[in-house]
Amino acid sequence: MSDILQQYLEGKIDFEGQKLVEQISRNILIVATAVSFVAGFATQSLQVLFGVFAAFVVTLSLAVIPPWPAYRRHPVKWLSIKETKA
Amino acid sequence: MHSIYSRINNVSAMLSTCLMVLLGAISLSSFLFTSTPPPGTLAVTNVKVFPGNARRYANKYQDFAFVNFNLTADLKPLFNWNTKQLFIYVSAEYENRQGTKNEVVIFDRIVQNKEDAYIDIAGRNKYVFRDVSASFEDSTPAHYSLKYNVMPYVGILTYGEAARTVDPVPFPESQDLS
Repeated sequence: MSDILQQYLEGKIDFEGQKLVEQISRNILIVATAVSFVAGFATQSLQVLFGVFAAFVVTLSLAVIPPWPAYRRHPVKWLSIKETKA
Repeated sequence: MHSIYSRINNVSAMLSTCLMVLLGAISLSSFLFTSTPPPGTLAVTNVKVFPGNARRYANKYQDFAFVNFNLTADLKPLFNWNTKQLFIYVSAEYENRQGTKNEVVIFDRIVQNKEDAYIDIAGRNKYVFRDVSASFEDSTPAHYSLKYNVMPYVGILTYGEAARTVDPVPFPESQDLS
């Protein structure tokens, strides 16, 4: 029971997933900064700027923080145990 | 391997950098809005000087000046997306009998939105107007000016002057009422 709970709380993903998550979060945040500034400047409203930015951040968090199956497609394959002489 | 906590850390670290960049860009964008307000008018209609007793120093009698003025200024151009509010103040600039240059704020107002930024007031001094030397005798005539201070949401404060009396206004003789 506690094993399952811990697995959900930790939400581990594999190495390929890590790489993907880091790329996505960096790129999306940079895009979000640029887009929200342009949107805010165009409408001359700081409210729009931070609204757009917040929307980006919320969607990004939902996409990246939970351990979605897409980030667990390349599990590490361990070598099989070798027989050793006792 | 990456747990939820390290992913939260990863996102929030980049997020704080991006927020700082955004705030910096907003504050820099203020420099794009360089329009200054058209010069307004400030006319002093009446200046009176009365001797009196400031409660703080029971034995000290000093002159108090009372100034009435008409003020019109259109400060709407100062409002842009990064303007939080304006602080506007009327100050009197003169040299007292000791030769000290004084600038005394006699009136101020906070303008919080663009609709209120057209200023048209017939006002009088809001704050006690007195001199350090206790008298306005032999002071030079005073220039009165309307100055503004733009307070942005993010960025630096900027100052400017929106109106000024055409000719300096002399202080009248102190008249004792009793």
